Amino acid sequence: MFKSQKFFRFKKKRIRVIKIMGNDYKAYLGGIIIMLILVSAIFAPLIAPADPYKTNVTKRLEGPSLENLLGTDSLGRDILSRLIYAARPAVLVSFGGIIISLIIGMILGLLAAYVGGVLENLILFIFDVIRAFPPIILILVLLSIVGPSLLSVIVILGVTIMPRYGRVVRADTLSEKEEDFVEAARSLGADNSRIIFKHILPNIFASVLVLSGMDMASMIMWEAGLSFLGLGLQPPLSSWGVMLQQSYQYIQTAPLMIVWPSLAIMLTMLGFSTFAESLRVALNPKLNQEV
Amino acid sequence: MFIYITKRLLWVIPTILTVLLILFSLSYLLPGDPADIILGPRATPEMAEELNRRLGLDKPWYQSYLIYLQNIIRGDLGTSIFRDRSVLKVILNVLPYTVILTLTGMGLAVFNGISIGLLAANYNNSYLEKFLTLFSFITASTPTYIAGVLLIVIFSVNLNLIPSIGIGEGGFLSRLHHLIGPALALSVGWTGYIARLTRSSMLETLDQEFIQTEKSFGIPRSYILYKYALKKAIKPIIAVIGLGIGRLLGGAVFVEVIFNRPGLGRLIVNSVNERDLPMVRGGVLAAALLFVIANLIADISYAYFDPRIKQK
Repeated sequence: MFKSQKFFRFKKKRIRVIKIMGNDYKAYLGGIIIMLILVSAIFAPLIAPADPYKTNVTKRLEGPSLENLLGTDSLGRDILSRLIYAARPAVLVSFGGIIISLIIGMILGLLAAYVGGVLENLILFIFDVIRAFPPIILILVLLSIVGPSLLSVIVILGVTIMPRYGRVVRADTLSEKEEDFVEAARSLGADNSRIIFKHILPNIFASVLVLSGMDMASMIMWEAGLSFLGLGLQPPLSSWGVMLQQSYQYIQTAPLMIVWPSLAIMLTMLGFSTFAESLRVALNPKLNQEV
Repeated sequence: MFIYITKRLLWVIPTILTVLLILFSLSYLLPGDPADIILGPRATPEMAEELNRRLGLDKPWYQSYLIYLQNIIRGDLGTSIFRDRSVLKVILNVLPYTVILTLTGMGLAVFNGISIGLLAANYNNSYLEKFLTLFSFITASTPTYIAGVLLIVIFSVNLNLIPSIGIGEGGFLSRLHHLIGPALALSVGWTGYIARLTRSSMLETLDQEFIQTEKSFGIPRSYILYKYALKKAIKPIIAVIGLGIGRLLGGAVFVEVIFNRPGLGRLIVNSVNERDLPMVRGGVLAAALLFVIANLIADISYAYFDPRIKQK
């Protein structure tokens, strides 16, 4: 009986979340933008009108035309195609970075909350040391140690953002651990792993989900910023940050060129943050005041 | 309150010591032998030895670390490899630019954000409010470097209103003129955030009973809004200013590179690119110290304005 009650509560909650989000224009806006990016990342070769790496020196720095809808860059490559292909590193970085953050943060957070004592203080201390650097500067220094590549950018972004998840998971686990239903499960003989996976993780899932939505936007922001400084992804790879960096040199002569990747980054961040915001409002009625 | 502040201050000391240890270990972690990078392929072993001694790389690491700590306590951050100038002097030279930029950016964000938020709260549930909310969302999700680039494209390249490079020569007005673009670019992200915060805090306050009481006394609406409600609603905004200053310090890196201004951020980026180790260490240390101080102020002001936090 206990189990079925819980099941219905969960189902009811899910229906409520869908209902709230269905009435929120931000959910649609964010959802459509995220879908658009995912589709361009997966089907880039089918959508892109031209080869993003094919240079054509006779057609460099051209404005928008029928043949090149958004014009060409300094090597005569089609900007629209490069924009579409650049969704791939963006998606890889945001999802990859978040997964790394989540895994490390969750393990450390759970360990801190469960073991306590010296280990807990040590883990909290590691979080504090990471948070003592302005994120962009920590990322810069770490990247200069391991060298820039797609993988190192993903791992370093994940590690830099990780303390947020560690702290949230620890705080939530500590409060969930005191709940009556965990106490009940324990007295019925459930071991720690069962309690963690069946009772604690599902309950802290909501706050972690909302946080990751917001952080995926920041991951894309950091990646593009690093590539813009020449320290992230490297040309000829097509990424919005690389495109920014390359068109920045022509900002006085061909200013329109830098506008396209800028808009792409802004739109992506808007999509992730509005969707996360809508999710937050729907999942957490206590915080229902749009901050 | 006093105990909370002391605890927070004491917790900072081991953090800073570990930050120093990480910065110190950079000389072992960075790829390549420092002597090779600095002296080039034609260096003799004697020259390499001399340089290693100067960088403190000839002793066991714990001894070098202690020497490094001693030097830092004495205010000696070493000498830049390429510029042959004291790292501390270079940093103190560029620091004011970064601090002024960050504070101006925060000031703009607070002023614009509160204005937009008040407007949105005043015209709640109108089209203006919907527009302002979306506007705050868009600005809050605009990275600093995009704001900088777009400001240059619109106001510098197309309209020729603001300069896109440098800090201005001589006079105060010229410097101010050169500060507008960078400070505005830096402020964009937090303008949106503060606008949303102001709106929700204002709406919450306007809902409370003392406002209803004042209304029933026949006090004019504008008087209630600005004299009573704003005074109470502004607290959470003051609490996030410290946090914002820390965030803007990171954003200043991009603004300084884009607008070609001297500053701590550009110094760090350049020295990372040149592999100027003492400069990287000094610059990152200065940035981390500023960041830790900003976060400390943020935590303390949070605890002051929201006493529930202290008990945690």
